[in-house]
Amino acid sequence: MKEKSVTLRINGEAHVFNHVSVRKTLVQLIRDDAGLMGTKEGCGEGDCGTCTVLLNGQPVNSCLVLATEADGKEVLTVEGLSREWELHPLQQAFVEEGAVQCGFCIPGMLLAAKALIDENPTPTEAEIRAAIAGNLCRCTGYVRIVQAIQSAVVSMSRPR
Amino acid sequence: MEALVGKPVTRVDALDKVSGAAVFGPDVKLVGMLYGKALRSPYAHARIVSINLDAVRKLPGVRAVVTGADMPGVLGGEAVKDMPFLAQGKVRYMGEPVAAVAAEDEATALKAVELIEVVYDELPVAADALAALEKGAPLIHEGLENYARISVIKPVPKSNIISVNEYTKGDIEQGFRESDEVFEDEFRSQTVHHAPLEPHSAVAQVDVSGRILVWGPNDSPHRLRKDLADALHMRLDRVRVVSTYVGGGFGGKGGLKAEPIAIALALKANHRPVKVVFTREEVFQATLVRHATVVRIKTGVKRDGTLMAREVKIVWDTGAYAEKGPTVCSQATAAAAGPYRVPHVHLIGQCVYTNKAVAGAYRGYGTPQLAWACDSQMDIIAKKLGIDPLEMRLRNVLREGDVNPVGHPVHSVGVEDCLKQVAQAIGWQERQHHPRVTEKGRHVGFGIACGAKNTKTPSGSEAALYLSQDGSLTIVTASVEVGQGVRTILAQIACGVLGLPMENVSFSQPDTDSTPFDASTTSSRTTFHMGNAVKFAAEDLKKQLAQLAASLFGCDVNQVVVDGGKAWLAEQAERSLTYPELLQKQYGAGASMTGRGFYYPKSEQGKAFHESPSLFWMYAAHAVQVEVDPKTGRVEVKRLAAAADTGRPINPVNCLQQIEGGAVHAIGTTLMEELIVDNQGRMVNPNFHDYRIPTAMDAPEILASLVEAPHREGPFGAKGMAEIVTTSVPPAIGNAIEDAVGVRIRDLPIRSDKVWRALRESKEK
Repeated sequence: MKEKSVTLRINGEAHVFNHVSVRKTLVQLIRDDAGLMGTKEGCGEGDCGTCTVLLNGQPVNSCLVLATEADGKEVLTVEGLSREWELHPLQQAFVEEGAVQCGFCIPGMLLAAKALIDENPTPTEAEIRAAIAGNLCRCTGYVRIVQAIQSAVVSMSRPR
Repeated sequence: MEALVGKPVTRVDALDKVSGAAVFGPDVKLVGMLYGKALRSPYAHARIVSINLDAVRKLPGVRAVVTGADMPGVLGGEAVKDMPFLAQGKVRYMGEPVAAVAAEDEATALKAVELIEVVYDELPVAADALAALEKGAPLIHEGLENYARISVIKPVPKSNIISVNEYTKGDIEQGFRESDEVFEDEFRSQTVHHAPLEPHSAVAQVDVSGRILVWGPNDSPHRLRKDLADALHMRLDRVRVVSTYVGGGFGGKGGLKAEPIAIALALKANHRPVKVVFTREEVFQATLVRHATVVRIKTGVKRDGTLMAREVKIVWDTGAYAEKGPTVCSQATAAAAGPYRVPHVHLIGQCVYTNKAVAGAYRGYGTPQLAWACDSQMDIIAKKLGIDPLEMRLRNVLREGDVNPVGHPVHSVGVEDCLKQVAQAIGWQERQHHPRVTEKGRHVGFGIACGAKNTKTPSGSEAALYLSQDGSLTIVTASVEVGQGVRTILAQIACGVLGLPMENVSFSQPDTDSTPFDASTTSSRTTFHMGNAVKFAAEDLKKQLAQLAASLFGCDVNQVVVDGGKAWLAEQAERSLTYPELLQKQYGAGASMTGRGFYYPKSEQGKAFHESPSLFWMYAAHAVQVEVDPKTGRVEVKRLAAAADTGRPINPVNCLQQIEGGAVHAIGTTLMEELIVDNQGRMVNPNFHDYRIPTAMDAPEILASLVEAPHREGPFGAKGMAEIVTTSVPPAIGNAIEDAVGVRIRDLPIRSDKVWRALRESKEK
């Protein structure tokens, strides 16, 4: 089986992985090789969005990206959202608004929401719903997830 | 002392989950772990002629290979012991595991299973329950009456019927004779999947003493331990089950799923742990589904709408193995007449094997399929009699002290208020003034419905509370965090009783070695049962603290007050001692204190599993506003009002989360979702692009509210509610569609093409 080496930054830290199978997906690299288990894999087919990470700032289903395609790039996972013990405003809002139930979709949902706000700091409810439409959730009915993103938008727009 | 109970405390599991630190089943990693993969049957019904393992055994990296022949006499199943860990002799559904391989890595395991050669001899297929009931239908389990089973299961020899459950009250024929009108209808429902985002998984290991260790997202570690020990003919203590966080369960994460495959491999893996994670296709094909049903409902009424008699005959398509199917049949059939006063009742459920995916517990435990029939028919009756649908229900719903359709007096009944609240929220009275056609030409309709669900009875829960010498508390229970917020609820109860802040609490991981017995995290039973056990354990701690304080103060225990984290002598509150001070004074070298609580309801009829009438009933109502496009038949739910009777809620936000999430889940199962199986039993759409669940774009505005009908035996009056939140959504939507465009859909899901066809047929008439 063909192998390559992959150099990339994950959550700001430099990683070099040698002997990466060209068939390995980015989610497998993140979980199995980098040991960052916060990124989940719900379907492996790009349908559910639980494996969403930011690749050079863009949201991707990391099950549909080959690990070798991430060579030289910047990856952000849920573990990179918070700094030390300080939660990202989106994480804080998800906790406070009761947006979390089983929690399996939450890492991907947070990153999809971050990608939206990075691009559009004042999204409408419809824009929020469209931005997370690729991230399935079976528990919440999305009610409080949408509210949490709206709440984070407000807190992030406040001058610090 | 109850300051925390009833408060919208922030969920204690949220931080773990937003930070990515929460460990779910697929996240478990152990040293020396192998990866297991199953080879699955491509046929729904076939005899296994031969299995050739020569090639797979030669593949480098393969460490264990196993088939059903390695496990003779091993049969699992909570209600009926009928399911081998790997197929033995024949396969009964497409996707049934036939053989399995453990290898050093996942890629090798995947390659290895492809090297296994199986020769099958195909058998005729019973692809749905009605076909399986026909004379001459292929027998799926020959000798089903010989399987070991619990007492409520009543199999019919030489058939595909694994159980028949019947309930009668009054005289059904007299009831129909005394009725002014009799209505007979048939309603059907489809197969749907729980579709949790976390796939099923398990890690299993056999230690050097032969003890079996299992880690995974199982909702009920003690029940799984018993199921495994029984199947493998082992003592309970020789099996240890540890449950992780569960990434969505809804009933589908109990019983034997990935566990049997991981264990079968671990038994041959030389003490190395084996991990099995299902693909999404495997999750759809080979875990659990909701029963497809055929419900025939016959109801007699007086001209004023008073229900006189109701007969409901249900055929439950339970798939290839019993799992919890027969207990769904026995329990749900008892709820089939709805939350109404009916003097004459006859309910009969048949649980039927088919060559399909295994059906069992699914949020609502059969009641959504029954409410679909019952509360759709309530509107048919109301329309014929010229009674408003809300009024029709209010004339008949159960109230405190009434006798329910299975002959039991009911207590804690909030259904009337649920109906009134959802009617208010959706604007039921004002709907006459609402425009009936939108600018885009869509027809507007309103619908209302209500439902009832029971809980398995009797069942037990035990809890331990460890009070450490610094006054912090560890809550030790086997209740599993499946997303419902159980840790928060139990902490509110424990801290409420002990007067401790929530910040001082930690939680054990559910583990059969260390957390006491709990029947299951199912049946909406945990707040009630484990809530009581934790409450008793906290009261036990308080009693011990009072005794300790009494000995230190040199007074009688009755003179001691324990509250707010302190103990003092009555009327001398200024001389109080904190819990850590009490422990320090008596046990200066260090000690902890253990509170114990055990709850097992007093049973009226039988003490065995499922033998008693429901300990409590849950009630809810839903009202919806829909828009139907007559050109395409497309239905859109614009607004949905939902109210559930929670008893006294321990945490109102947790309850609202259930109501909101349940409503959208049920919109999916009503309008969108269907696992399609062809006439050869082959599942056509086992993936999320062909089996569509609601996205954020499909979810309407949800108007959620609580109704409080406190239960005298629940902890602080609380009761369960997490399943009833889906039950009456399907009929509410069906009723609204009828209101909008005048057609009555009788089989779920309500797809656009069915509405379009019904509209065309109604025009042709």
